[in-house]
Amino acid sequence: MATQAAHASARAGWLRGIGAVHEEGWTAPDIRRRLQLALAGLWLLDAVLQFQAFMFSKGFSQMLGGTAAGNPAVIADPINWSAKIVAQHGTATNAIFAFIQLAIGLGIAWRPTLKLALGASILWALGVWWFGEGLGGVVSGTGGPANGAPGAVIIYALLAVLLWPGRRGRAAPFAAGQFTGANVARALWLVLWGSLVYMALLPATRAPKALGGMVSAMASGQPGWLASADNDMGAFLTSHGPALAVALAVALALVAVSVYLPRPAARAGVVLAIVIAAFIWVCEGLGGILTGGGTDPNSGLLLALLAVAYWPLASALSATGPATGRPDLAATTQPVSSEGA
Amino acid sequence: MAGPSWLAWIFAGGMIVVAGYCLTRLVASWRQRRPSDRRVDGMHVLMGAAMAGMLVPRLRVFWTGGWEVVFAVGVAWFGWLAIREFRGQPTVGGRPGHHLQHVLACGAMLYMYLAVATVAKAAAGGSAMGGMAADGAHFRTLALVLALALIGYTVWTADRLSSLAPVAALAARSAPVPVLAGAVAGGGASLADAAGEFADSEGAGSTPRDPGEAPTGPGQRVPLSPRLAACCEIAMGVTMGYMLILML
Repeated sequence: MATQAAHASARAGWLRGIGAVHEEGWTAPDIRRRLQLALAGLWLLDAVLQFQAFMFSKGFSQMLGGTAAGNPAVIADPINWSAKIVAQHGTATNAIFAFIQLAIGLGIAWRPTLKLALGASILWALGVWWFGEGLGGVVSGTGGPANGAPGAVIIYALLAVLLWPGRRGRAAPFAAGQFTGANVARALWLVLWGSLVYMALLPATRAPKALGGMVSAMASGQPGWLASADNDMGAFLTSHGPALAVALAVALALVAVSVYLPRPAARAGVVLAIVIAAFIWVCEGLGGILTGGGTDPNSGLLLALLAVAYWPLASALSATGPATGRPDLAATTQPVSSEGA
Repeated sequence: MAGPSWLAWIFAGGMIVVAGYCLTRLVASWRQRRPSDRRVDGMHVLMGAAMAGMLVPRLRVFWTGGWEVVFAVGVAWFGWLAIREFRGQPTVGGRPGHHLQHVLACGAMLYMYLAVATVAKAAAGGSAMGGMAADGAHFRTLALVLALALIGYTVWTADRLSSLAPVAALAARSAPVPVLAGAVAGGGASLADAAGEFADSEGAGSTPRDPGEAPTGPGQRVPLSPRLAACCEIAMGVTMGYMLILML
């Protein structure tokens, strides 16, 4: 009995100290920090996807080179040049790409390096948008909402700007407006979703069988449930293609302007944006990440995350007001800790 | 389809370092009676060795069978702790969801071993991971879900990394050491030994923190580095995510 008590006491001794490790001044993540962490998770996912065997093969450089097609020479030539380098030094370049994305993901997640990692992510995303995605098909006219336009990686950059830490005192009706201000954030939203409206009406999407063919093509190599979803959806879109492209454009236009509407309508707009993003993501075959050849989850998931950042809050985020129906402790007590260095 | 062998060696090397470090933590915690989550450290030793062996078959220094049982027990054990945690009963760490992370990691290991077992015959020669990837059509959606969950926990852990006090600060809080003899039966280095390296005049005069948040205080033993323990979890999360993605 005494032995058991002594053992329990000793055990409690080493257990007791574990809870004593929390640093003073650290507080739980607020809504913007949570969105930053989601962005960090996506960068980490990109990193492990970049480590896949396919990325070390010639197929990856061919995929990069393929994005040059349809672009003017001033854009296509640098893409071909970089694809040639990747083809010649596939192992080294891909390893560097993967480790850069790993560093960005962990850097955003670790508060002291948050700003550095977000800044690096913007530069990296802009580079990949050009050299890896051919500007998302925006210039070539081959891009459409269902095939990743205007480029998933540019949405990473946009999120990094909108979720940039600092300026906590600025009142904003949604998390995305805290750094840039609500007006700039709304304008960026309008440009992004407006560009999707434009691309939904381009022949690449609106032409008969274009949208359906695009979606059906994503079924290849997917697991059964996703392949059958893409095939069924592709068949449906093929038979109703042009009309559905117009309907999609109308829905996208509603989303684009919803951010300027009163809060209930704005919330409905965000919900619609998330629904459309989910539809786009399924059309994209989840970015091909289940096929062993996807480099990122493509634009659907990013658009959904972006929409969450624009969710109208009960009251404006500010240094003095509540953010989520409870006191905004983050804004009042942790000007540095959750903002990084 | 498998990743390049040098990459597997890098990840395997990282796991060996993690396993070795966690073994050191276990020994130090035992001998010096310093607080540490020995259950997690112990699981990390096993997990690190198992993952290194999966990545590079030449590194299989332990037994080759039975790992499924080890990780099934791990799932049950940490699952029970997680349930206790969510019921509000006192648990180690005081971090909500802490044990769920280990349930998930053990579950991912179990999944990978079961997936390997189904294709082991077809994967004669080469790495076991290559065999798994070759049969990637099986349950790859589950592999992706597990990978996403592990990545989520890795990010969560990295976010909380800066919330963990460095050992120096913990030592400073614990100093001075009025009565160590008899605090815990058994030998090991005294807190004075540990605190002597780190404590400064400021720390020596520090007051104990809120008991609910800061059990350490003067006279308490200094926990083993919580930051390095979190770094081990991050390294394991990334490596396990990589291994699961290889199965797609």
